[in-house]
Amino acid sequence: MKRYSDMEYLRLSKWQKFVYKLVSFLVGIPLGIGHFFQKIGIAIKDGFLKIVAEFKDIGVTFIHGDWKTKVSYVVMGFGNIARGQVLRGLLFLLFEAVFIFYMITTGGYWLSKLDNLGDQGPVEVYDPVFDSYKTEYHDNSFKILLYGVLTVFFIVAFIYTWRVNVKQNKISEEIIRSGKKLRSGKDDLKSLVDDQFHKTLLALPLVGILVFTVLPIVFMVLVAFTNYDGSHNGYSNALFTWVGFKNFGTMFSWEVNTAAGLQSYSATFGEILVWTLMWAFFATFTNYFLGMGVAMAINKKGIRLKRMWRTILVMTVAIPQFISLLYVSKMFAQNGLINQMLMGMNLIKNPLPFWTDAIWARVTVIIINIWIGIPYLMLITTGILMNIPADLYESAKIDGASGWKQFTKITLPYMLFITGPYLLTSFTGNMNNFNVIYLLTGGGPTNAAASGAAGSVGYTDLLITWLFKITTGGDSQYYLASVVGIMVFVVVALISLVVYNVLPSIKNEEDFQ
Amino acid sequence: MASVKLTGVKKIYDNKVVAVHDFDLDIKDKEFVVFVGPSGCGKSTTLRMIAGLEDISEGTVEIDGEVVNDLQPKDRGIAMVFQNYALYPHMSVYDNIAFSLRLSKVPEDVVYDKVTKAAETLGITEYLMRKPRALSGGQRQRVAIGRAMVRDSKVFLMDEPLSNLDAKLRNQMRAEIILLREKLDTTFIYVTHDQTEAMTLGDRIVIMKDGYIMQVGTPTEVFEMPKNLFVAGFIGAPQMNFINTKLINEGGKYYVTPFGVKLPVEGEKAEMLAAKNVQTRDIVLGVRPEHIRLAEAGEPAIKTKLLVNEMMGSEIHLHVSTEDETRLIVRIPTVDLSKEERNAMVAGHELSVTFEGKVMHFFDPESSENLLV
Amino acid sequence: MKNEKRHMGLKAANRLSNTAIYILLVIISVIWLLPFVFILFQSFRVESTWQVGYIIPQQWGLQNYINLWNSDFKRWYLNTFIIALVSAVLVTVIQLCMSYTLSRFRFKMRGPLMRFMLILGMFPGMLTMIILYRVLADIGLTQANAVPGLILVGVASSGMGYYVSKGFFDTIPKSLDEAARVDGATRFQVLYKIILPLAKPIVIYTILTAFMGPWGDFVFARYVAMGTSAGYNVAVGMYSWLTADQINNWYTTFCAGGVIVALPVTILFLCLQKYYVEGVTGGAVKG
Repeated sequence: MKRYSDMEYLRLSKWQKFVYKLVSFLVGIPLGIGHFFQKIGIAIKDGFLKIVAEFKDIGVTFIHGDWKTKVSYVVMGFGNIARGQVLRGLLFLLFEAVFIFYMITTGGYWLSKLDNLGDQGPVEVYDPVFDSYKTEYHDNSFKILLYGVLTVFFIVAFIYTWRVNVKQNKISEEIIRSGKKLRSGKDDLKSLVDDQFHKTLLALPLVGILVFTVLPIVFMVLVAFTNYDGSHNGYSNALFTWVGFKNFGTMFSWEVNTAAGLQSYSATFGEILVWTLMWAFFATFTNYFLGMGVAMAINKKGIRLKRMWRTILVMTVAIPQFISLLYVSKMFAQNGLINQMLMGMNLIKNPLPFWTDAIWARVTVIIINIWIGIPYLMLITTGILMNIPADLYESAKIDGASGWKQFTKITLPYMLFITGPYLLTSFTGNMNNFNVIYLLTGGGPTNAAASGAAGSVGYTDLLITWLFKITTGGDSQYYLASVVGIMVFVVVALISLVVYNVLPSIKNEEDFQ
Repeated sequence: MASVKLTGVKKIYDNKVVAVHDFDLDIKDKEFVVFVGPSGCGKSTTLRMIAGLEDISEGTVEIDGEVVNDLQPKDRGIAMVFQNYALYPHMSVYDNIAFSLRLSKVPEDVVYDKVTKAAETLGITEYLMRKPRALSGGQRQRVAIGRAMVRDSKVFLMDEPLSNLDAKLRNQMRAEIILLREKLDTTFIYVTHDQTEAMTLGDRIVIMKDGYIMQVGTPTEVFEMPKNLFVAGFIGAPQMNFINTKLINEGGKYYVTPFGVKLPVEGEKAEMLAAKNVQTRDIVLGVRPEHIRLAEAGEPAIKTKLLVNEMMGSEIHLHVSTEDETRLIVRIPTVDLSKEERNAMVAGHELSVTFEGKVMHFFDPESSENLLV
Repeated sequence: MKNEKRHMGLKAANRLSNTAIYILLVIISVIWLLPFVFILFQSFRVESTWQVGYIIPQQWGLQNYINLWNSDFKRWYLNTFIIALVSAVLVTVIQLCMSYTLSRFRFKMRGPLMRFMLILGMFPGMLTMIILYRVLADIGLTQANAVPGLILVGVASSGMGYYVSKGFFDTIPKSLDEAARVDGATRFQVLYKIILPLAKPIVIYTILTAFMGPWGDFVFARYVAMGTSAGYNVAVGMYSWLTADQINNWYTTFCAGGVIVALPVTILFLCLQKYYVEGVTGGAVKG
């Protein structure tokens, strides 16, 4: 592709400029993605070099360190205690003790079973006393996987702490050599509300995220590589075990032989993905532009009662969504308020198929989503609209711009520039907008053609509601849900990547900063 | 009251950008030192490193002989005035000034005495109960200074304290800072981008560019003997004129030949050149606008054409163009010209100018260093 | 003369467009408010409990509210209220810790941490429901004990939602922190004496959103309660009234419940609306 210099670009016609920009954008996508992977490669290389450097430093510290340092390699915190930093040292020692105790008592067990998630499933045992069979339970794959992952986390934390312990010895030695004083335990405690205050503040939130977000996500990603489902629940009926990439194969092969006959997961996936993207696009941009429109209407000079109009809209934000969504969903049902009223007025003979026809349902959810979304967007855009410098409009007016031109040349570029990141998160948020779809349609109406592969699928099902249906459906194919979840992640990540890496380059022109 | 010593101080940001290179400076007790330079030269970064608001990447900062690199700002015995004042918006003026005293658990009646005394000194007593947003720029500035005053600190740091004020107020506050300095009798480090402030306030001036120190000296030193082209151009307004020309050594006698006019070097400058035994060579000749004068008849003179005539009141700035279209600025006291002469000074008017041999500056065109330093 | 005429033209055009906008705003207001008016009316309808084709009840009465009182709704309401109250406190603390730190401190792991959380956020939360349920089940916090379980999970993962308040903290000039630190404040004192008083709008915003969230919490709450009515929150409980086999008995009661749920939240919201708007639009600190 030919690159124009600035001067050449300026001589292009409007149409040529547009084509040039479009081509630059499209060319930019693979370049941007390539660049991203290149960055990842560099990061991996740097990481590797860093690890090598760490090992070297560990060795060097050992060779040059005094005996206190050397003992600390085995007894964590010894160096700290010996040099007078008792509090720190005791904490290190305590951590080591807890770690060793945990590994011996339980951690070792979970770790040893992690390779095939348990050996012995439940067995029927004959009980001669009662002359009956009863089930004896043994390994629990679910717990093995969960606590195995937790144990791995713990080991990583231990290695890191051990490394910090070694490093501290080195630093302490240096400080003592230079004749300065080490920080006392009291200093350490004081620094927790001062220069180390961020550690205090972050401790609790990060532990929460680690245990209740990171751990579950790691677990569920791993589930995609097992055969965990309703009939292999890991304990009471059968164990589950690793199956490698088989589930991904199932999802992406065109036809799969199942008990219910030949089925195509990839067709179902594709169909739902297309609708998910369509939905996210419409949901995001209808709300965005209409919300901006309402905000501009209320903001217009000379419109009175601005506060009242805003309050009316904002009030609907306060009402919990499940009430408004469920109510509206029933309002549009076959025998709901709307249909009954219209029929009562003899405007229609048969109820309108709001939720029973594929197209009607899709359009209706988008429209109801506008009803839900406009107040938020109105609020967000109001603030930004008021921040657009008034002199931009004044100068545009003097230059002879009409109202419409002012909108397309000033308001819109400014808004897009400021709200770019918001639009992205809003788009991905809508892809995962479970509540609106589930409470309005429950995914329906049923899409017979796509259903079957993994239970019943509807025309308004998003990937996220499909995922939900798979997990809660008849055979609870958790492994499949996990694959779908990973695919959702991949799609969201790809979109974010493209937007982050490519958009700024063509947005530079509209730099309002 | 303390000395401040910076040794090999360096600031490297995470993205490997070096903001300050090997900064060495010895600030004596009770000295008023001004860091001056264009934006991005590292002057504020250096000040913030002294304050402890920025990590020191390399080197040491000593206050009163104690290395303070690892000390928190509050433990360094400093007070600081910020560019945008940084007044706590939710506190009254009184509470703003009292904040630091209360943090160090000073008894309330001592706080009262100190705050009211500082307020009196600064003339803001009547505003003590107001919130900062109800104050004008100048008043906010005074509150910020008051807040720093009550700390009884060893070193007083000021980061462009006047740059948010209008020109008139700035002149007024400048005078007050000089008075304040006499009252406080402590070490001052003052950052500004304005050379006038630097010249009028500083005992010594540190001129910086791109993270390097260009020159350290008293205002007179940097004005009379700028170390390089940058300092020569930065200090003094309007800017010094630079002319690419030749220095000629004719048997121990020196001449310069700007625009083909041969002018002798005289006085101290000639002696210094001789002492260094400088030979004939290319130079950048520097002459300050106030040192150029209109030539009298018969004198060797540079022929120029007037482009713009700026009447400044007490003086006139003439922007002139030589035959090879080099621009020069000439600054003439208004009283030196008769009314007729002034009226004749319109664009296109031909002027012959010249300058004395003792006011010339000679710079190496390659290294841009002053030949005589 | 000519000028004056033009001037009048401008004014008339303006009046026309303003009238159009007023009409538009009235229509919008009606559309936005009508469903809620419907709910209110139907909650007082006593002649039938199923969906009908008219809005104004033929017979007014409080029967639906009495039904509500006699159902498990009280329990659900209490459950939700407890969750909302506790979350409002804990979530606010956690989010403010997180956002303040990420806005103010520059430590080595800051960038990687923020990137890591961005990536975590791209995984659908739904995915982790199964395991969170099992973990809660293991420590006995499901079904009838769903309330502490929901609080635990909600609070623990709330650190990820730091963006809005971080945006607010970013607008408070950093030089205030620096001035306070020079004045002798520890980092903790900076937060407590300088930043928090200035952050009132965002604190209230965070409390408000954290309080409102649990009223609409549905999927996970249903999963955790697993069919045990004592562990339902209002959303899960009232959803069970609208299933195909229940709706004809419970439709109007649902409307009454909706009113009871929406009323306090809406009133609270309207009182604190100013802060909500300020939070959403990322208001700047004046000073």
